[in-house]
Amino acid sequence: MATNKKALLIDITKCIGCQACAGACKEAHGVTGDPEPKLSETALTVVQDKNGKFVRKQCLHCEQPACGSACLVGAITKTAAGPVVYDKSKCVGCRYCMIACPHSVPRYEWSKLAPYMKKCDMCYDKRVSKGQPTACAEACPVGATIFGDRDEMLREARRRILDDPKYVPHIYGEREYGGASMLFLSDVEFEKLGFMIPPTEAPLPEVSKAALDEAPMVVLVGGTMLAGLYWITNRRREVLLAEAQKKTLKFPVGDEEERS
Amino acid sequence: MPETKTKKPIITVWRVILGVIFLAGAYATYLRFVVGWSAATNLSDAQPWGMWVGVATLCGVGLSAGGFATAAAVYLLGMERYRPIARAAVLVAFLGYVSVCVGYAYELGLPWLFWHALIYWNPKSVLFDVMFCILAYTTVLTIEVSPAIVERLPFNGFKKTYMHWHHRLATAVVLAGVLLSSMHQSYLGGLFLIFRDKMYPLWYTPALTTMFYLSAIPAGLAMVIITLYLCNRSLGTKVDPKILKEVAWVISPMLILYFVWRMVDLVKHGGGPYLFKPTSEAAYFWLEMALFVFLPVFMLNNRWVMNRPEGVYWSSAVVIAGFITNRVNVSINALERATQANYIPKWPEMAVTVMLVTCAILAFRYAVIYLDILPKKAKSTRKWLANAGVAANA
Repeated sequence: MATNKKALLIDITKCIGCQACAGACKEAHGVTGDPEPKLSETALTVVQDKNGKFVRKQCLHCEQPACGSACLVGAITKTAAGPVVYDKSKCVGCRYCMIACPHSVPRYEWSKLAPYMKKCDMCYDKRVSKGQPTACAEACPVGATIFGDRDEMLREARRRILDDPKYVPHIYGEREYGGASMLFLSDVEFEKLGFMIPPTEAPLPEVSKAALDEAPMVVLVGGTMLAGLYWITNRRREVLLAEAQKKTLKFPVGDEEERS
Repeated sequence: MPETKTKKPIITVWRVILGVIFLAGAYATYLRFVVGWSAATNLSDAQPWGMWVGVATLCGVGLSAGGFATAAAVYLLGMERYRPIARAAVLVAFLGYVSVCVGYAYELGLPWLFWHALIYWNPKSVLFDVMFCILAYTTVLTIEVSPAIVERLPFNGFKKTYMHWHHRLATAVVLAGVLLSSMHQSYLGGLFLIFRDKMYPLWYTPALTTMFYLSAIPAGLAMVIITLYLCNRSLGTKVDPKILKEVAWVISPMLILYFVWRMVDLVKHGGGPYLFKPTSEAAYFWLEMALFVFLPVFMLNNRWVMNRPEGVYWSSAVVIAGFITNRVNVSINALERATQANYIPKWPEMAVTVMLVTCAILAFRYAVIYLDILPKKAKSTRKWLANAGVAANA
């Protein structure tokens, strides 16, 4: 794993729900308007109130993104620096990424006639690729969201869990779906905060990869079998034909042109 | 089905229905491409795939499976008895695929960029493989149906050369077609593998690929049967009802195999406890089973039903209804609990789907009338068999 991989550490216990991150995100992406309650084409990150806890929701930037493996034109890729980015010039609008995402993050510009997918890009172009922190991390007044190297963020998270027994001893995003670049700490079970708890740690792309890997075998074995069967039936036909020509034909055989 | 005779009043019930379908389809097209998504569909961020994927694509492709099954039986396995229906079966498949391709113009957000799929490859994507197989197989089907058109051309030299090469390559083309369609019939199921944590356990299984393949073949054959039955009834073709009965007879063991496999797999992957829960999913599941397995298996094994052509027709129709239920369940109902979308298609979605199906039916009708697709006289059936070689008689 690359050492310079970046990540955000979001500490749910520290968040005061001030929406500064949501506002800064809008500003960084050139969108105006108030913070929204749900993710939308104009709100790429939101702060939701879940039973008194403020929970940020946005793209988790998985290490092996399901959306990226789903995208038929490869428009969604995981960068070496961590962010999962979307190249809108490749997109054809199939929206497979939207259902493939286990966190249901990607949004679609349903109102436009040339719609594109929208999701958090972890400020890759404007900030992270230039070594700056994301807009949301920079805007957070209480340090509930901090930005840094993923290894460093994991160390910090573990330190907090060890220091303070209020935390659930679990860093969401460390291993879920093969790990992510958004790491969450909480004092309430993540399940109760609406986080998707995967049944296994295996990244989703591996599920479909298993099916895709069978293809060459199917083609090889199936092709050989079918060709073999054809050879047999063809041979049988030839034999029958030869035998029949020795006897008298029951009815005249037209030209041998096949109707295929 | 539209009717045949031209010496009839200009305004008939069928023409009025056709007119309504096309007007509605045209208006729906306007809504989709000029007004926007929200006017034309009930799709949303929670439910980004709806009827156009669930019915137009999944069912369109699945119901075309009769093409490759029949082509394999006749051209590769030498079952000459079914030669008279092979051309029609392949034509059904061709029109099915063409309508799927046209349907994608509606379904894609940026349909004019569809060619991106050909230049930006992502081999990790199941959808990429599906798309590639669909394009390749549509090409194969075009080659497979082309002789029916070429043989009507007035250019003798071209015709001769074309038929010569077509004949030489036919086996390879059919073989490629069987492999391609087998692959992507399964891959259509593979599309849903990545929705593991969102799909209701009654439908999610790592064997979705196998399930889609196993269910597509009987449904495809049922589609061939009802198409040919309707042709016999309304276009005056003379397809031996015995052949249709025999094809129908194959469907029942396939459905039983599918059912047993599906149940074993379901229990193995922990879907068992969900079978009898009082949920809407369980109801959808049993509806699917009733229409796709129980009812048709009963009908197909009932002598009284099978001894009359309408019986064969209705059993096949039930199989198709069950198949559509299955695909809609997998693509829409299985996801609703996780996405909480409560999706019901808007009328333009249905209008477009109905219009695509109608276009395919019309194309098929005119192909049967003007081209040599199906035997039109009882005598010609024998000639077809004779042309196919003495093997047919053996």
